[in-house]
Amino acid sequence: MAAVTKSGLDKNNKYDRQLRLWGDHGQSALESSRVCLINATATGTEILKNLILPGIGSFTIVDDKKVEGDDVGNNFFLLRDSIGTPRGKIACELLSELNEDVVGDFVEESTSNLIENNPSFFTSFSIVIATNMDEKNLLKLGELLYKYNVPLLVCRCYGFIGYIRLVLKEHTVIESHPDNTLEDLRLDRPIPAFQQFCDSLDLCTMTKKDHSHTPWLVIVYKYLQQWKNTHNGAAPINYKEKTQLKELIKTGILRNEEGVPDQEENFDEAVKHVNTALAPTKVPSEILKLFDDPECLNLTPQSKAFWIMIRAVKQFVETDGQGALPLRGTIPDMTADSERYIKLQNIYRHQANQDCQSVSNSVQRLVEEQCQNPENISEKDIHTFCRNSAFLRVIRCRSLEEEYNPQTANTPLLGQHLEDEEESDIIFYVLLRAVDKFYEKFNHYPGFYTQQLESDVQELKVCLSKLIQEWSLPPVSKDDYVQEMCRYGASELHTIAAFIGGIAAQEAIKIMTGQFLPIDNTYIYNAMKQTSITVEL
Amino acid sequence: MKNSLSPNLYNNVSNCKVLVVGAGGIGCELLKNLVLTGFSDIQVIDLDTIDVSNLNRQFLFRKEHVGKSKSQVAKESALKFNPNVNIVAYHDSVMNPDYGADFFKQFKLVMNALDNRAARNHVNRMCLAADVPLVESGTAGYLGQVTVIKKGLTECYECRPKAAQKTFPGCTIRNTPSEPIHCVVWAKHLFNQLFGEEDPDQDVSPDTEDPELTAAAGESALEKETEGKEIERKSTRVWAMDTGYDAEKIFSKLFRDDIKYLLTMETLWKKRRPPEPLDYNNLSDESPSSTNDMRDQRIWSMKECADVFSKCLAKLKTDLAAQGDGGMLVWDKDDDKALDFVVSAANVRANIFGISQKSRFDIKSMAGNIIPAIATTNAIIAGLIVMEALKILDNKFDKCTAVYLNRKPNFRKKLLDAGRLDPPNPKCYVCSAKPEVTVVLNTQKITIKFLEDKILKSELGMVAPDVEIDNGLGTIIISSEEGETEQNNDKFLSKFNIINGSRLKCDDFLQNYNLNITIAHVEKLEDEKEFMVVGDMAELQAKLDENSKKKEGESSGATPGNTSSKGRIGSVNYHSNLYTKQILVIF
Repeated sequence: MAAVTKSGLDKNNKYDRQLRLWGDHGQSALESSRVCLINATATGTEILKNLILPGIGSFTIVDDKKVEGDDVGNNFFLLRDSIGTPRGKIACELLSELNEDVVGDFVEESTSNLIENNPSFFTSFSIVIATNMDEKNLLKLGELLYKYNVPLLVCRCYGFIGYIRLVLKEHTVIESHPDNTLEDLRLDRPIPAFQQFCDSLDLCTMTKKDHSHTPWLVIVYKYLQQWKNTHNGAAPINYKEKTQLKELIKTGILRNEEGVPDQEENFDEAVKHVNTALAPTKVPSEILKLFDDPECLNLTPQSKAFWIMIRAVKQFVETDGQGALPLRGTIPDMTADSERYIKLQNIYRHQANQDCQSVSNSVQRLVEEQCQNPENISEKDIHTFCRNSAFLRVIRCRSLEEEYNPQTANTPLLGQHLEDEEESDIIFYVLLRAVDKFYEKFNHYPGFYTQQLESDVQELKVCLSKLIQEWSLPPVSKDDYVQEMCRYGASELHTIAAFIGGIAAQEAIKIMTGQFLPIDNTYIYNAMKQTSITVEL
Repeated sequence: MKNSLSPNLYNNVSNCKVLVVGAGGIGCELLKNLVLTGFSDIQVIDLDTIDVSNLNRQFLFRKEHVGKSKSQVAKESALKFNPNVNIVAYHDSVMNPDYGADFFKQFKLVMNALDNRAARNHVNRMCLAADVPLVESGTAGYLGQVTVIKKGLTECYECRPKAAQKTFPGCTIRNTPSEPIHCVVWAKHLFNQLFGEEDPDQDVSPDTEDPELTAAAGESALEKETEGKEIERKSTRVWAMDTGYDAEKIFSKLFRDDIKYLLTMETLWKKRRPPEPLDYNNLSDESPSSTNDMRDQRIWSMKECADVFSKCLAKLKTDLAAQGDGGMLVWDKDDDKALDFVVSAANVRANIFGISQKSRFDIKSMAGNIIPAIATTNAIIAGLIVMEALKILDNKFDKCTAVYLNRKPNFRKKLLDAGRLDPPNPKCYVCSAKPEVTVVLNTQKITIKFLEDKILKSELGMVAPDVEIDNGLGTIIISSEEGETEQNNDKFLSKFNIINGSRLKCDDFLQNYNLNITIAHVEKLEDEKEFMVVGDMAELQAKLDENSKKKEGESSGATPGNTSSKGRIGSVNYHSNLYTKQILVIF
């Protein structure tokens, strides 16, 4: 990442507040991303705004419409004077003003034409974001992008309802930023250097000062050995035994002349950490699943770096690692003198580097075997991969085709939501689908013409029943919702667009940076109740 | 638009006057949303100017606007998009007395887009005083929240105890730091001592009144000092100026002589690792961090710290001189010199005390109370604010919600947690009919000035209080009029016969807020606290009991419970104590 932007501003300053969330490497990934937006609707421009501000590489708007009065009313990036001019062009100009370091472009052509005549146009993007598309073209686009594994984010604002669907064949996440993680300390299978270090220390003979500054990790280790010696070499496993170990540790606290235990913070810490520090070292089940994934087992010259690296980690676990993942190499803060704390730090770091080197050697071999360019995977990548090896994730979303085909649709889930939960927002997904059926039939949205409101309500009910029938679900009576849906008349409210613009952009950033877990796969927002759900459809 | 909003609501929206407090991250988004939802009479107030680090999310601002008024530029940018809207911008603090209850009364609705608790408290009180509904909001990284406050119907902003803003005991900072943050705070104090506004609470030299020292130990240290060489007692600033801000002399005093002096206070080091003085001309060149070439992320070696320290001293000296006599510098996290100064000084001190050192990147966020901020979260929250505003204008308070935005869908697959608004807390010391609190303190050690600044203003959120003793005589001890009671400032409360059980009637005219305080006298509070605010004596007792219980809990290895979802943002956003444990003050 260049230190200075095109606009002459220091990047670290301009992006300071977000670098704290996704780091420099996340920022560089963002800066090399190319985003395609289909339709410069209010929702579309809001999403782009939220991507241009943090600094994506470039964006391209595909839109064949001209600016209309309605657009100006709900879209911040279109002007009254621009009514009648190409919508994509105006939006592109105004959005480009937000960040000089982002390159903007537009194509004045219909999406259906592009899919038909120039499908490769879409496959060069890092992500395609589609807003307010009709069902027919959406399914075509979905099929095309799924084939080439280009992520597609479908977004829609309809009255007080927001909808987002992520479609992608495979997305790999190295840094999933899990919430609560246990430290990787390996007290059950101590690092040899750590063992040696602990053995070199004698709590009984050291000075009082040294005693109260011995890192808790050492204390727990030492008393754990003592425990094991009296329990046939086994570590405490249940609550009762762990409590006994805690009591044993407490007996080690120095006492004053009157026999009252001193205040020794490091011992307090040791007692506090017994529960978590004794968690056995094992490869998480999610990671074991990845080891058995066909992509991992059958590498090809086209295999992504992620799969090469996971194969290398698998090999490590089976050989040098003796059943364990590469060591993370960090230890928590603790009460200790600097000298011994730094020694401990170095022991863990050194072992982690060694593990990483072993993985790196495997990567090198695998890359050679598959005739890939060795420069595709840097030492730094491998280091990050190893450090996060317990948290790797792979997301595979169902395709739109699977969702829309009644034979493969997730009808059990739909049925369960519609029946069990009276108030589930899933009803709005069903209604949106019914609205699309309506549109296909009448070529306008229900309630769009106020004078037809009553008949539209009836027709929408018919569409709803048909849909429910296709899914072979018991009939639902949601007349008030149907009424509400028709009242919206397909209007796109700005404040809903602003909300969905925030959520969708956040998902897009997750995809582009390869950090954090994106939704899988549908998100529905009900603005009247301020509730939302995520479901896999 | 008209389709989805009822005609009545649409009418309300286009005819009402609303106030937006804050034109930052949320404020920019909110202004845009309001304009495009049909609001046409909007006022916006913000005292801030635009900084480069705002540009990644505050989309109404551009590079060329850096340094200009946020509210003014936001107004101009928004008008470009819709010139038919009436927007009034104030480049001012909302806490300025010009904006009294009458100012607030002209609005149908107030929306907060603020970043600090003091202003939130104040706007809360103003809206209660003017009986105007308030939409309150906040974001921190991926987290956010929106809630509605309506006098008499819902909780007010201050109905619920909030995590206290963390402060550190002076002697921890000056004598016995044990965490990186202590060194960072010390380094910021040092900056102010050398270049900024002098504050006796920010002394950086060893503290001989450390309660841990027996009287004798402190005195003997003092004696040793006077014995050795005649040290003239003068302020750090004057001393540094006299040396011409000589880097070696300042470094040697702070990081060698002062540390040696601390070592003479032997009781402090009986159970602690004693600090190790450093010699300016003999510093290690070894960097503790692994190979990372980025200056911001790397841990600097002592040698490098000293070099940076010296260079910054020289530059800051020039800056200070440029201000002329009586000038001073204000520490700013976005000023490289000021930040580098703190990074180097904090790391040298950390090294001396055997505390883990931190990178420039980390120290920036510790010293600057930086909360990560991104466009997406602000967009989401501003969208939610307008939805709540619409319900208020539709007179549907029963439909209003308190919404929390999670970092990712929770275990029930919800990204948003929407909850009903709770009714007012009948014991709230702000919005109840007769606000009351008890303040626990030592009447012989607390001055009138301290009562005004630290208790009434900082802790209890008043702006310009008048205080009279409820003794039948109406003795006024603090007046908001200038020049009336300044002579009381340095006197202790006991001088005015304020004793255990005394009652004080406090009145903030601007906030239209009356509070009765009962004083509970104690000799000493735990954790070196100078005072404690509690709801009433019964709660005080409960709190003391709870404390003693908590102690037992800790020793048996119990882990602290999770904070409730309602307290969540409170702990990260409003108080930004990302690096410290939170302490709840119970009202």
